[in-house]
Amino acid sequence: MSQFLQATLYGLLQGCMLGLVATGFSLVWGVMHVVNLSHGAFVLIGAYVALTLHQALGLDPFVGMLPAALVLFALGYGLQRGLVNLVINAPIFITLLLTFGLELLFVNALMVLFSADYRSIPTGYAERSLVLPLDVRLPIGRLIAALASVAITVGMGYLMRRTRTGLTILATGMDRGAARLMGISARHTYALTFGVAAALAGAAGAAVGAVSTFSPADAGRFTLFSFVAAVLGGLGNTSGALLGGLLLGLAESWGGQLLPGTLINAVAFGMLVLVLAIRPQGLVGKAYYASRVEV
Amino acid sequence: MLQTPPAQPHESDVREPPGLAASASDPRGLRRYTPVAAGGLLLIAAFALQTQLYTGQVRMVTTIFTFVGLAAAWNLIGGFAGYACFGQVGFFGLGGYATAVMMTHGHVSFWLALPLSALLAGAFAALVGWPLLRLKGHYFAVATLGVAEGLREIVLNLPELTGGGAGISIPSMGADAVTPWFGNDGFYVLFLLLAALVVAISGWLSVTRGGYALRAIHQDEDAAAAVGINTTRVKTLAFAGSAALTAALGAAYAFQQITIFPERLFDVHITVLMVVMVVLGGAGTVAGPVVGAVFVAYVSEWLREQLPESHAFALGGLIVVAVILLPQGFTSYLQEARKTRRFSLLDNVRRYRL
Repeated sequence: MSQFLQATLYGLLQGCMLGLVATGFSLVWGVMHVVNLSHGAFVLIGAYVALTLHQALGLDPFVGMLPAALVLFALGYGLQRGLVNLVINAPIFITLLLTFGLELLFVNALMVLFSADYRSIPTGYAERSLVLPLDVRLPIGRLIAALASVAITVGMGYLMRRTRTGLTILATGMDRGAARLMGISARHTYALTFGVAAALAGAAGAAVGAVSTFSPADAGRFTLFSFVAAVLGGLGNTSGALLGGLLLGLAESWGGQLLPGTLINAVAFGMLVLVLAIRPQGLVGKAYYASRVEV
Repeated sequence: MLQTPPAQPHESDVREPPGLAASASDPRGLRRYTPVAAGGLLLIAAFALQTQLYTGQVRMVTTIFTFVGLAAAWNLIGGFAGYACFGQVGFFGLGGYATAVMMTHGHVSFWLALPLSALLAGAFAALVGWPLLRLKGHYFAVATLGVAEGLREIVLNLPELTGGGAGISIPSMGADAVTPWFGNDGFYVLFLLLAALVVAISGWLSVTRGGYALRAIHQDEDAAAAVGINTTRVKTLAFAGSAALTAALGAAYAFQQITIFPERLFDVHITVLMVVMVVLGGAGTVAGPVVGAVFVAYVSEWLREQLPESHAFALGGLIVVAVILLPQGFTSYLQEARKTRRFSLLDNVRRYRL
């Protein structure tokens, strides 16, 4: 019983973080119809920015989430404005290939700069844990990471619906032609969307760095997590991504207890394929993006 | 900031193939056989090339043939039908592992294992394709990616049958070997013939009713259904055929490597290379995947030799530049540029820009 509770708690904490990782991915997919295969690389760049700041200035990795987000925002804005906007109307292979090429570039650059070794950002308090009744342990670092992730994700959802910029992004995602007729610059809005998504990935990366080890080779894994969480939750929907992340985190930690080896990954992919086959708009999503008109 | 809608990328698909159009005006009807003759000459040239190569080069050219076959097989579903299958490597690995398991545990001859593996992968593709081919665009891409990753995990977790992460070795020498290993020259011929088979099938398909049906589905699936095409059947058949051919190449690859690992046989980079080759060469054409595969496979092997540390970096940069400059593929670019007399690559960039 205690083991089950421990697994549940761990899965929920991990799920919150995966939710933050997936939010940006889901936003880009929902608004621009771009599956960003370099999203996992963004997460890792965030982690390495936090690591560098920690080594140079002794900055706490959770404080480092902010500068990591800023760096990634600039990178994302520039990439979208300079590269992805050039092929945004092309068939889907093209954007998939472009972002895959970017992923190769980033991952290799990280390997050259930081080597392929596994790193972590030590904090001194993240390893400690609170002991709850029934001998369930609550690691402090993961708790902070999960709370920060939920706060950022919920805050994002609020900003998207309440601010002019957020509404601009949503409107462009629903109907780019109509948005342009209302005087919205689609190029700028797309770049902004990609920048925000990258910033969220960067912040998530700093949090990941604080609670676990990471290496450039993990990029693909994070992209895949984002895929599954975004599809489970429905695209372009920040609370959906959080829900998808929680489901994925729970499935992983429960499955880790019950199934031998890495068979749990097969279950996760099976879940993904099943959800796509039965309910492609996600568990909580609406299917209105499919019907938009391109201008 | 309104722009005219971008030109349809696959304009050429609706035209009649040059062969058929020519046969009406050309009384001898010989021009329709030009592609066949060119293909035959290429095949003979490839056989002649073998005598001029030393061992290292034979292996490299064999790799190029493998990718020609893989790219042409992906082109059937990704290029003709326009369904971006990002899990093609799953069929490659399935074919390879089916052959390895049959030869190791069942002592089946390679010549029987190869077609059986292809049939198995084709049946599997038809089974998963039936629900998944209802998905469009990215959803299909992600779902097939999930299928491939799931297959890898299953293979990884069946150690009694597949050896798990430690890999499986096909007995290839001595008394244990059901079929003796072919040697570098033997595999050169095998992969050349397999690649030629796949290209010939796609060439044949491009002038048949089924090929037109696939292109119609690519352009507008609802309209295709409205003119009486059974879209589900056509799509599923194309998907199964593409999977079976990919699995046949995977089977041959497994026997060539002798020892195979899930990480290598289900490597997602193989899928991406197939897509890069088809897109750069020209999706939905017969010659495009061949051109793209020869070019990309050669460059990728060359980079691996010249820059052992950072060849993936260079490959990434190459993909980014090529995708921006040649989004419609080399053969389609050449065709259009010859027609319109506009050779500027910047026009290409303008086409899909926001």
